[in-house]
Amino acid sequence: MTWASRGKTAVVGIGTSKISRKAEKPLGLLALDACRAALEDAGVKPEEVDGLVTYPDQPFLGAGNRDGEDLVTVNFLIDHGGLAKDIKWYSQISSGMIPSAFIEGVHALASGTCNYVLVWRAMHLPQGTYGAWRSNRAGGDTQFTAPFGAANPFQWHGLAYQRYMDTYGAKREHMATLVTNSRRNANLNEAAYFYSQPMSFEDYMNARMISDPLSLFDCDIPVEGCIALLLTTGDRATGLKQKPAYIAGFGQQATKRPSLTTYTMDDHMICGGSTTSKIWEMSGLGPKDIGAAQLYDGFSPSTYYWLEAAGFCGRGEAWQFVQDGRIALEGELPVNTFGGSLSEGRLHGMGHLAEAVRQVTGRAGPRQVVDCHASIALDGSPMLRNAGILFTSEP
Amino acid sequence: MPDTSPRPVPAPDPLTQPFWDATAAHRLEIQRCAACGYYNHPPKRLCDQCTSPDLGYAEVSGRGKVYSFTVMRQTSIAGFEDKVPYTTMLVELEEQPQLLLAATVPGAGDGIAINQPVELWWEPIEDGFVLPQFRPIA
Ligand SMILES: [Zn+2]
Repeated sequence: MTWASRGKTAVVGIGTSKISRKAEKPLGLLALDACRAALEDAGVKPEEVDGLVTYPDQPFLGAGNRDGEDLVTVNFLIDHGGLAKDIKWYSQISSGMIPSAFIEGVHALASGTCNYVLVWRAMHLPQGTYGAWRSNRAGGDTQFTAPFGAANPFQWHGLAYQRYMDTYGAKREHMATLVTNSRRNANLNEAAYFYSQPMSFEDYMNARMISDPLSLFDCDIPVEGCIALLLTTGDRATGLKQKPAYIAGFGQQATKRPSLTTYTMDDHMICGGSTTSKIWEMSGLGPKDIGAAQLYDGFSPSTYYWLEAAGFCGRGEAWQFVQDGRIALEGELPVNTFGGSLSEGRLHGMGHLAEAVRQVTGRAGPRQVVDCHASIALDGSPMLRNAGILFTSEP
Repeated sequence: MPDTSPRPVPAPDPLTQPFWDATAAHRLEIQRCAACGYYNHPPKRLCDQCTSPDLGYAEVSGRGKVYSFTVMRQTSIAGFEDKVPYTTMLVELEEQPQLLLAATVPGAGDGIAINQPVELWWEPIEDGFVLPQFRPIA
C-alpha cells in the first residue's frame, strides 16, 4: 500500500560547505556554513528552524569525539546555530546512515511536531593514515581478524568484490566504466573534490592497488566538509524560494546478518532488497520510474550491489549493465550524477541525498538529467545497515 | 617505516577464552549452540540462529575451502608493515555455510582460487597464543 504521507514533506533547501582534504576552519563552523546556506537557499529564517536531526558518527572507531571539531552533534547546533529559541524536537541516531536521520525528520514533520527540520552530515578527516590499526591488543570480534592482518574496511570490501568477480565474471575493466563515469560527472560539479581532474580508462587501470581487486580509485576520497538539507511540510514547501523535492518513500535495512565482521557478498540481494522493496512499496514507484540513481560508492562495488538489489538489473548483471553509456547522464539510468563519494568526496551518503534533490528540482546545472521526475538515493553498503530515500518532483 | 611494531594479539574475554585455550592445544573449536546445533563465529552471548543462551564449544574438522581472498598492499596494520603484500583469506568451514574464519597467506595471492580446498596449520605468536591458519592445497 502506498504510504499515506507520500508527498506531504519535502526538501526545500540545500547547503554545502567547502569540501577539502584539510579544512581551514573547525568542522563545527563548516556545519554552520552548510546549515546557513541551506536556510538561505530556501529563504527561511534561522529562528524558524524548530527541528534538528543528524547522524554524527565517526568514520571509524578511535576517531576523536570533540563536538564541533571531530563531529557535529545536535547539541552543537542548539548552542551555536542561532535557531529557534526553544527547539521543539531533535533526534540523533547511531545506526542506519544519514537517511535514517532524515527519515526521523520526515516523521517529525508528518506528525505536526515541528515546521522546519535541519538535517546535516559533517565529516572530519583525522590526521594520520586513514583507519590504520595501531593497537597491539585485539579485543571483541577483532581478535579473530586483526591478529591475522585483517583490520581495514577495504579488506572486507576487497574480499566481497573478489567473490563477486569470480562468481559473475566481472573484470577490473568493467568497473573502469563506472568509476570514470562518476569522474566525468564530478568534472561538472564545482563542489566536487576532483572537479578539475579528469580520469581516463588508462588512469583507472594503472591505479595503485590497495587490497586487490580494489585499487585506489575504487575507494572514496576522504574529505572534510558538511552538507545540510532543510525539510518542511508539503504545504509550507510551495511558498519558498526553491522548487520542493517531495519525499515519496524511504526504507531501512533490517534483515538479520550472520556477522558484521565478515562482509560477505552473498548477502547483498537480501540486505539491499530489504531497503529498496520498502521504498518501492511506499512510493508506488519502481526501478523503471527512476530518472537518476544516487547509489552509495564508499567502495565502488557497492554501486554494483545496489543496482542489483534495487532491481535495476538482475543479480550478477551490474558489471554489464553499467556499460554502453547506460549510466551516463544521457543514458537509460544516470548513476551518481554528481560524481559520487568516489569523486565528490566521502560525506557518507549525504552527497547522494543532495544530488537526488537537485535532479528532481531541475537544479543540477550542467549535469541535469532531462525529465528527471524521480531520483533515489541509497546510502551505505547494501550488506550493512543502510537506508534510502526516494524523491519526486511532484507530490 | 619501522618494521618492528608489535603485531596485534588476541585479548580474550570469557566468551572467547575457550577458543584460544583450544588453539593453544592445537584443536580448532567453534562455539556451538546446544539447542539448535548452529555454529557461531565470532562467539555470541545468544545464538545467532535461535537466540538460545545455551552455547558451548565443539571441535570442528578444520577442513574447508577458500570463500574469498584479497591481496593487502597497505602498511596500515601494526605488525604487518613488513609483510605486504600478503593475502587475507576467508575460509568457509565444511561444517556450515558461511562459517568463515580469517587466515593469512604470504605473497600476492598467486595460485589461490575461490573454492580451493585448504588445510589447517598452527602459527604460534606472541604471549603464548596460537593462531589457526589455513593454506590452499592443490
Ligand atoms: Zn541455536
